[in-house]
This record gives sequence, structure tokens and C-alpha cells, in this order.
Amino acid sequence: MKRQKMYFRMVVASLIRRRSRMLVALLAIAIGATILSGLVTIYYDVPRQMGAQFRGYGANMILLPQEENSMDMAAMEAALTHIPAESVSGAAPYRYETIRVNEQPIIIAGTDLQGAVAASPYWMITGELPSASGQALIGKEVASLLGLSVGASFTASYTPAQAETSENGVTQYQTMPFEVTGVLDTGGSEEQYIFLSSQDVEALTGEEGTLDVVQLSVNGSQQELEAYADAINGAVPQLAARLVKRVTQSETTVLTKLQSLVFLVTAVVLVLTMVCVATTMMAVVTERRKEIGLRKALGASNQSIIMEFMGEGLVLGALGGLLGSVLGFGFAQLVSTRVFNSSIRFQGLLVPITILVSVAVTALACLLPVRSATDIEPALVLKGE
Amino acid sequence: MSLLQLNQVSKIYGDLRALDKVSLSVEKGEWVAIMGPSGSGKSTMMNIIGAMDKPSEGEVLLDGRDISKENAKTLTNIRRDKIGLIFQQFHLVNYLTAVENVMVAQYYHSIPDEKEALNALERVGLRDRAKHLPSQLSGGEQQRVCIARALINYPEVILADEPTGNLDEANEGIVLDIFRQLHREGSTLIVVTHDPEVAEVAQRTIVLEHGRIAREVVNENFVP
Repeated sequence: MKRQKMYFRMVVASLIRRRSRMLVALLAIAIGATILSGLVTIYYDVPRQMGAQFRGYGANMILLPQEENSMDMAAMEAALTHIPAESVSGAAPYRYETIRVNEQPIIIAGTDLQGAVAASPYWMITGELPSASGQALIGKEVASLLGLSVGASFTASYTPAQAETSENGVTQYQTMPFEVTGVLDTGGSEEQYIFLSSQDVEALTGEEGTLDVVQLSVNGSQQELEAYADAINGAVPQLAARLVKRVTQSETTVLTKLQSLVFLVTAVVLVLTMVCVATTMMAVVTERRKEIGLRKALGASNQSIIMEFMGEGLVLGALGGLLGSVLGFGFAQLVSTRVFNSSIRFQGLLVPITILVSVAVTALACLLPVRSATDIEPALVLKGE
Repeated sequence: MSLLQLNQVSKIYGDLRALDKVSLSVEKGEWVAIMGPSGSGKSTMMNIIGAMDKPSEGEVLLDGRDISKENAKTLTNIRRDKIGLIFQQFHLVNYLTAVENVMVAQYYHSIPDEKEALNALERVGLRDRAKHLPSQLSGGEQQRVCIARALINYPEVILADEPTGNLDEANEGIVLDIFRQLHREGSTLIVVTHDPEVAEVAQRTIVLEHGRIAREVVNENFVP
């Protein structure tokens, strides 16, 4: 039999036949690894989770025309190619015009209504979004001003900039009937607008027109958003991409503080875990001082004894780390579900990292008491002390 | 040349002389018993002969080599290569089977050989208990495993400390029979005991008192 085979036989025998002792040690390592792995998972997933929460506050990037009438749908599409599609939560192109309803001047916003809602999830709509031509979503203030509610109808009058005036001095204007499908409540300036589909605005005005602004809701850190904006500004001359600072900076500030907090907690837990594992392993090693003395009496070198105990420690560390990786993901999932109301992404790389950290902590925890135990005199064992 | 020779060996702890200028020779193949009351210096002599301690004064020649000044690492190698230890309290590794306990000594000495370890167990009548853990063995059986472990590397000296101290009469008889067999095969045995019956079966008995050799008795009725 080779010496290595006997080495593994002794290590395995110690782990299996002393299973109650080893289970205590394994449990200590696994609990430490679980908390560590869980917190690191949360640490890395917080930006994504919080980013999703922040998207609820509306657009964090806007596209504006560089010159008047320079931004059209093609320019917007070109700009969007510089942002990964999966990062765009919502994109809403807006064209603003002024119309009259019952002789009251009102601003209409022609947009992709589904995209607008996606970019501004905080919109509260009573009724439904327009789904067909001739339907309108009206702001709460407009509804109050015009006395309109869901299901009511109104006629929109549009006067082109170069409107013709008849011989009797009456200006020619275009009209179109609309039905109110929903009333918009945002607490902001949107309540002063009537929202129509882009196609209906074109039909009412008779002009294809250009976009006044595009609101984008993009997932990503401030650095990523700045990189997207720079890329767009460099590649699409018709428009300028700008970040909505109050959203992106708030997001960055909150994220930085939250990550710092999780990092601090993780560091403290790591230290406590090391202390806990070290204490457990020290107890395990200390109760085997007699065995260490016996092995020395039989002619074992200190190095050989350290190797044997380290072998056990490494196996325990690896098993505890593996167990901790799985349980840690469950722990992180539980926290994420409770706090952020969404599931967490599995970080595959964390499994080997957790195992390596567990092995390193366990090895360190074993090394100190074993080195100390190898100093004992074998004669004490012989005397039965 | 004697296999083991102690020349004017003393061991001093502060004001206490646990061993006081002790000189002793043990020939190859000899069976020597060391007797004495508690505190007489038996354990100290045992530790020095077993390369587990160093004398304060004097020299210890094992197979012609002075081991009294060697460092801890060299003493470990000497224990591994030249000495087989048998303990009163057996000291088996409790999570290893009988055969694995024997193989541990092989592991530190050279290359573990399960077949050879099983043969050693057979010599002490425990071949059929090879796969049992120490907790599944009686005291006598555990001591026989301890003996098999001491024999496995063919040591120059088998050093036994109160080998029958924890055994009943029947098991004491079995262990002494094994010692007789080992002696017939040429092994050198040094047995520390306080039991006159165990000392009587040896060729020669050294009696220690207050760290000195009080007397030496040659067993006229020794049966090889």
C-alpha cells in the first residue's frame, strides 16, 4: 500500500468514524460559509435589485435634438443601438403640439404609450391606456379643466403654423374626435397634457413631424450610463444624450451607501466566522493532544502530524464551503425575496470562491493549534497524562 | 558491545534527582524487568531509554550510538526505527481499526503493508479481530494490538511500560506468553513493572529506589 493511500485512509477514517465531532466542526464551517456566501451574493446583486427599484422613479436618460427638428424616429433607433437591449426598461419618444379643445389651448404629447408607461412606471391611470386610433389618455388637470372623464368624447382642433385664412378672415384648422380611455395621475406636469399615439398626432396635424424629446429608462450604474451617453453623442449627431442627474446621482449615492453597509457587515461576519471556526477547530485539535503525542511516540515527525490534521481540515473546509455555497444562495434568495420582492441571480463564481475561503480559514484555524500540539512531549502520553 | 548502555545517567528536575548516576547494560536478545516503587525513577528511565527524554548528565548508548545529546527530530527517528513501545493504557487511535493501528506504525516507519500488519495481529492471536475498532475490543485484546504495533517494524528494543497493569490475570498470562515467544525469537525486551509476577518471568530484574539501582536480580529459574 502506498503511503498516500494510508494517509487518505486515516483522514477518511477520522472524518467518518468521528462523525459526531466532525459534524460539529462541519456545521460551524458551513454556517460561516453560508452567511459569507449569502452576504457576498447580496452585495453583488444589490445594484441590480436597487436599479430595478430605481427604474420605478422614471427616466434616467433623455435624448434631445441638437438642432430644431433634427431628431426623428430613425435617430432614436440609431441611439438605442448603443445601449444593450436588455438594459432598456422603457423608451418613450415624445412629440409635443398645441391643440384646442373647446377653445382651450392644451398641449398634446404624441408617444408610444406602452413605452411611456414602461419608462414611467409610477404613472397612475384611471381607466385604460389607448389601444386604438381615436383614443386619448388625458392628464388629471386637463380632465378637470375640460370636465372630461373616462368614456367621454372631445374634439381636438389643430391649427397648422402656416394655416390658411379664408376670405372672410376665418383661420382654417383641422379637427379630430377622441374618446377618453384613461385619466393620468402623476402629481407632476404630465397631468396638464393629453397623451395620444404618435399616429393620431400625425393624423391630426397632417405632418410626420420630429421628436422633441425621448425619455429612456436604462438599467446600469452611473458609469455605464455615462458610457452609453458618450457613445450615443459620438455616433448620432442629430441628438444629444443626457443623464437625468437627480435620478442617477440619487441612485449612485444610495447604492454606494448600501453596498458599503453590506460590505462592512460581510467583513464583520467573515471575522466572526473565522473566530468561530478557529475556536471549533482548536477544540477538535486540543481534545486530540493525546493522539498527537502517541503519533510522536511512534515516530511521526511534526510535519507529518500537521499534514494529517490539515488534510482533515481541508476536507472539512471544502465540504463546509460547498454546503455553505448552496445554503448561502438560499439565504440570499430569502433576503432578496423579502426585501426586494424579486429573486436573486446565482453567482456561479461564488461557489469556488466560498470553498477556497472556507478551506483557507479552516486550514489557518487548524494550523495554529496543531503546531502548538506538536510541541507536546510524547512522554506525557506514555505516562497516561 | 551491549545493545543498550547507560553510563552514569542522571536526570535532575530542580533539586530533585529523579535518576542519580545510573549505569546499566542490556544485551541484544535479553529480557530485563525494571521494578521499583512510585517515584523511584522507573518512568524517567523508561523515557530516556525510549528516546522520549534526554538525561541531564551521562550518556545513553543505543546500538553503540550516544543518543543523550541528540535533538528532538533525531530522537523521533530513533523511536521510529529502533524502539517498539507498549503502553499500560494501550493508546490505540480510537477511530482506526486494529489492523489500521498497526499500519500507523508502518506508515511512519516506511511503507504500510496490510498483509504484514495482519500477520502481526495473527502473531498475537487477533487475526479475526483485525477490522474491529478499539472500542469493540477487550482490554487484553487492545494490549495485544499495541504489542503487534510495537513489533511491526522489527525494533531493536521493545520497551513496555506496565504492560499488564490494566489487564486481568488471564490476559496477563496471554501477554507474558507473547513476550516469551518474542524473547525466543531474539527480541530484546525491557519491561517496566511494579508487579513481581511480571518481573519474575524476565531474565534479569533491576530494582530502582530513589533514582538509583538498589539491586539487580538474575532469575535463576528463567525459562526461555
